[in-house]
Order: sequence, then C-alpha cells, then structure tokens
Amino acid sequence: MSSLIIERPLPHGGRLVERVVRDKEAAKKMIKGCPTYDIKPTLHYETGVPVRNVYREIMSICYGFFSPVEGSMKQAEVERILKERRLLNEWIFPYPLVFDISKEDYKKLGVGSGDRLVLNLKGKPFAILDIEEVWEIDNPEELAHKTFGTPEDNPEVVRERFNKKHPGWVIYRSLNPIVLAGKYTIINEPKMRPPFDRFWFPPRKCREEFDKRGWRTVINHQTRNVPHVGHEFLMKNAAYTGDVEPCHGILVNAIIGVKRRGDYPDEAIVEGHEAVNLGGYIKPERHLPTICLWDMRYGNPLESLLHGIIRQNMGCTHHMFGRDHAAVGEYYDKWSTQILWTKGIPSFGFPKPPTDVPYGLSIRPQNMREFSYCPTCKEMAYSETCGHKREKLSGSFLRGMVAEGVQPPAIIMRPEVYKAIVKWWKHFNYPFCNEKYVINKEKELEVDLEDL
Amino acid sequence: MAYFMVVLLDDNRFAKIKGTELEEKVQYMFGGELRCLNVEVSEEMKDKILQEFDTARIDSRGAITDVPVAFLRELFNQVAEKKSLGSEVIEAVLAKSSEIKELAAKESEYLPAPEI
Ligand SMILES: [Zn+2]
Repeated sequence: MSSLIIERPLPHGGRLVERVVRDKEAAKKMIKGCPTYDIKPTLHYETGVPVRNVYREIMSICYGFFSPVEGSMKQAEVERILKERRLLNEWIFPYPLVFDISKEDYKKLGVGSGDRLVLNLKGKPFAILDIEEVWEIDNPEELAHKTFGTPEDNPEVVRERFNKKHPGWVIYRSLNPIVLAGKYTIINEPKMRPPFDRFWFPPRKCREEFDKRGWRTVINHQTRNVPHVGHEFLMKNAAYTGDVEPCHGILVNAIIGVKRRGDYPDEAIVEGHEAVNLGGYIKPERHLPTICLWDMRYGNPLESLLHGIIRQNMGCTHHMFGRDHAAVGEYYDKWSTQILWTKGIPSFGFPKPPTDVPYGLSIRPQNMREFSYCPTCKEMAYSETCGHKREKLSGSFLRGMVAEGVQPPAIIMRPEVYKAIVKWWKHFNYPFCNEKYVINKEKELEVDLEDL
Repeated sequence: MAYFMVVLLDDNRFAKIKGTELEEKVQYMFGGELRCLNVEVSEEMKDKILQEFDTARIDSRGAITDVPVAFLRELFNQVAEKKSLGSEVIEAVLAKSSEIKELAAKESEYLPAPEI
C-alpha cells in the first residue's frame, strides 16, 4: 500500500457521540416522575419571529454530528469557547451551544443541578436534559459580539461590527437568560418527514454507507442552495483531489434549519441535489446528498470550522470551501475561511490552521474558486485556469430568472434540477421561502414524533 | 461602475421585439442558449431603485437584481413599447412604482408555477 493513501479520519474527539435510547420501555422508566418542559423556538429579540429551534441542536448533538459535544454547555465551557474556541476537554469547537429558558419558566419549573428534565417536542416526549449546572447570561449582546468577533479583537478577519442585520448574531442576542447545562439524551427517536427521511445519514449510518460503497476518500460539498451547473462542476472537479486517485465519493451535506425569505425551500434543495445524480451528471454511485439540522449562524470562518467537524464526524477526508463561505453581508473578509485553513487566525485561538493545532481536525480543506461558462472555451471553465472573459452566474440572477418563469438553459441549470424547483413551487405556490413558508416550517419542523 | 438590468427573452418575448431595431441588440449568453437585453441604469436611477425596492441588490457585474417580478414584467413592457434600452426605460418603470409595489405584495404570497 502506498504511504500516500489517506484513511478515513476518526470522529472529532476520537469517538462518535451517540445519545439515543431506542428501547421504549427503558425510556419510559428513565423519565418517570421527571418534570417536563415544552421546547419553544428562540424568538427574535425585537420582532418576535422564530430564529432558532434548539431541537435541531439536540438532534445534531445526540446523533454525533457535533461530536464530542454532548449537551448544553456550562458557563466555563462557553467562556473558554469565546476565548480560544476549545471545549473543556481540549477539542476545538467554534460556537457556544446552550439550552436557554426564560426566568419565568425557570421559576415555574423549579429545577436545579442534579435534576432530569424531560423535553417535549410537538407535544410528545423527545429528549432528556440531565442538569449539571444552572447559569445566567448577563449580557446577550456581549455574548453575541464575542461569539462572532469584533474588528478590534479579531482584526485578521472581522471587517465590520456585527449588528441585527446578521442572522447569527440575532440568534445569540435573542437567547433567554437562564441556561440549563448538561447532557442531552434522545429518548423518543423522531421520524424525519419526507423528503428529508431519504437524506438522513447521521454519522454512524453515513460511515456505514461509505463502507458499503467502498468509499475511502470522500469530499464534502456544503450547501444551502439548489445546485446550478457551476456547483456541479465545482463538486466534480474538487473531487479530483484525493490521494493516489480522485476522491471515491462526493458527499453533499445540506444544512437544514430556520430559513430566510428568498432562500430556496429545503425540500427543493435536497431534491435538487438528488436530481444531479438521478440525471447522471454525477453518477449516483459517486454522489450522496444528505442533511444536517442546524440553524445557520453565518459565521464564515467559524461556520467553516463547524462544517469541518460535522463532515469529519460523517467520515469525510476532504472538505471544499469557497469564497464567502457561509457568509452574509461583509462582516468578515471574504477569504476568512481560507485564511483560517491555510494560516490560522490567532485571535480566535488558532495560531496555526485547525488541522495543525493540538486536539484539532484531520479533515483536509480544499479551497476552491469558481466555475463559470466560457464562450471561448465553450465549456464551464475554472476561474484560475481559463484566461478568457467568462459569463459569471450569480445566484440572484438565477433566482430572478426562475421567478419570472423562464426555464434556465441546461448549461446553467440541469432540467432535472429545475423540475425539482417547480415541483415544490407547485406545492408551496411559491418558488422561494416566503413568510408563510418560514412561519409554517418553524411550526411543523422536519420531524414527527410518536407517543412514547 | 456602469449599472444595468437584464431583460430575459423567452420565445414569447423575443417574438414581440423581432424585426425591430432591438433585435440587433439582443445578446446571446451561455453559448447562445440565453437571449437577453441589457437596459442601462443611471447612477440616479440605481439609487432610486434601491430606495424604492428593499430587496434589490447589485451583483458583482453591476447588474441590479432581486427586484419584484412585477418590476421585471413592466421593464420588458417598457422596452418593447419604447424600443429602447436607454435610461428613460427605467424612468418609465419607476413612474409606476406604487402599482408595482401593490402587485409585488401579492407576489410574495403567490407566484404561478410554470407548466412543465
Ligand atoms: Zn476560456
């Protein structure tokens, strides 16, 4: 065997976190006599619109997407993350994750350290939280600023002070003051609703799927978009990285969570990616679209770190990152993610890249620019190799075309992908997320629960 | 930066400008697969669009995008009527701003899906 062969990395932290009880009788015993709390969405601190649902974090933690995180974080852990992006067990992690409730609810519940709280979702028992510590967020605005960084404290990458136009900052600014810290355990496994059920590959199942397919090297493509042909070429070409041969598989992992108006619906995103392989543009044997539940924080370099953790846990060897990775606005330098993975960002606790620090990651970054149509080469060409003037395709230009009811030419968007958009357009009477979709999604969520 | 707005031409729209002097100005993008016209937008009109329509954005090419569909429909109507791609087209569209906004409000609830 060549010494250049790249093996599948271990999960972040060394082992996969799996905190799901599948035995209903055992689960019933575990929650007997415990106080219960109905999970509520986090509401925007000014407008009252849902901006996050902690159930998505509980799912991603308990199924191991966020390994080695096991629950809602203690105060010391949150403080350490804000200072050096490390958990108390040393492993690197970008964001505070907490179970927050209002002071009124806290008083009503009357729980404390050592208590077990049953968390209901959609009126059914869903998970338990074994409380180890109760602490208070004194200043959510300060927490929000420290979470994302400031131009003064993080001059390498932060260009603008964060404010309420940034959806991730709003999530932290909107947290309730009381944090119940402790481990989560799912005691009543939710059923993913179609079409999401087909794309649900939690880390253990995902690694097993890679084994079945004989995939040793796998490159991840992060998405929150319906794919156009530029994305398809990015995926196919990035996959040529590998070790002694191109990557065996392309894992598409869509972040599913709270939506912003104007985004494509999550249903169209996952089926749009699936259409790429059903249409044969990338063989289904080489391509696997999947999902992860998470309300995007849009933290560009920090989000890329979380993406690296999630996909290493899923078993990927490589991860592609583009310009403005998981960004909104111009808060961060547009190459912040590339700066993190090639040089490190000392003020965030990374004097070296996250792959080169102790208790760091093993997944390999693949920093890609973009593909667009070159009328001279008469093909989709890479921005760094084609020397001609290319026809750049912006996502907003494409959205305009779709909204006008003009079918994009196949060189921009594959007809099968467009069909997936139109299928869900007919379903929701709208091609993008409008207010009705956003509100309804936070009511229905992505799962259903049975009685325990 | 020079600003512009793209008017897409599907077969239906193309038929309406065929034979006029606009036909020569049709641009073919993506290997001839997409026909369009670029309408000029002055600095002043650009500011006005951004002010009137809060979803509007400017992409890296200087194209103004993310305006309501009703805006784009009216833009084509004005192009076809005036047989021009000059700044007066945008002026004429903006003169109908309140009408467009009314349509746009309904548009955020419902847009008819194409039959494919
Ligand atoms: Zn070229």
